[in-house]
Amino acid sequence: MFQQTRLGLEDAERARDAILAALTPNDNPAALAIADEHGVPILLLRQDDAPARMLSRARAKAYTAANLGLDTVAFRDAHVKARQRTLDDWGDPMLTTLQGGLTIRHNGNVIGGIAMSGNTTTRDEALARIGLEALGLDT
Amino acid sequence: MIGLADARLGVDAILAAKRNRDGPLAISVVDSSGTVLYQLRQDGASPVDVRNAERKAVTAAYIGRDTSMWRMQIRHDGRTVADWANPELTTLHGGWTLRRESQVVGGLGVSGSGDEDRDEQLALRGAEALAQLAVDAWRARRQR
Repeated sequence: MFQQTRLGLEDAERARDAILAALTPNDNPAALAIADEHGVPILLLRQDDAPARMLSRARAKAYTAANLGLDTVAFRDAHVKARQRTLDDWGDPMLTTLQGGLTIRHNGNVIGGIAMSGNTTTRDEALARIGLEALGLDT
Repeated sequence: MIGLADARLGVDAILAAKRNRDGPLAISVVDSSGTVLYQLRQDGASPVDVRNAERKAVTAAYIGRDTSMWRMQIRHDGRTVADWANPELTTLHGGWTLRRESQVVGGLGVSGSGDEDRDEQLALRGAEALAQLAVDAWRARRQR
């Protein structure tokens, strides 16, 4: 038996509110995904007029960050690009190298992933980071 | 079309109707295209609940029937869900079709209460809250 700290809905809602408050009129309608350590969604949100693909991307980014324990941009640069691999090597159709998915850690353990989609991928990541910081965890 | 504000209102109505004896819920609200607008998982709800809440919502929007009604219909017709060749569809109870002025505007799915029919009851509470919102808006327009 072992005990595990897991990300809860209240945490996810705190991150959601921080991100929604940080969006400006210059941002496109966006999608947010917050997943547990296995990549299973805790909270999904799609703003009005955000296309469906934004939600699937956000979902895939959160899944990737949680499952691999890597921010999606680090996965892209250090594991895929640097070694001239493609995503096919991982054999998991849910993985993505799109920037904007961040790993959520608590006391050194991966407890989830948070991701945004809808804007430029760097803006997506900046917004996801606002949510991550709102969680206020000891990484 | 329903939007994020509608979806969150429906979810809040379901959470308000939830009782202590109900298990932790996963709730999903999709638009008429079957794409998630808002979805959440209460602490302790399983990945299966997450998946099925969304599948119930998608089915209700895509088929245009509440999932329990659709089950009766396809059983009557001697068919199974497999005939639709779409793994996102389910006849598990707990998916409600959202309509406005007879048009399908979305679907709402609940899973996790511990009983399919209770899931359906809870989903109905969300659908009712959205229907009430539409009625209020219609009344406000008429009074103007």
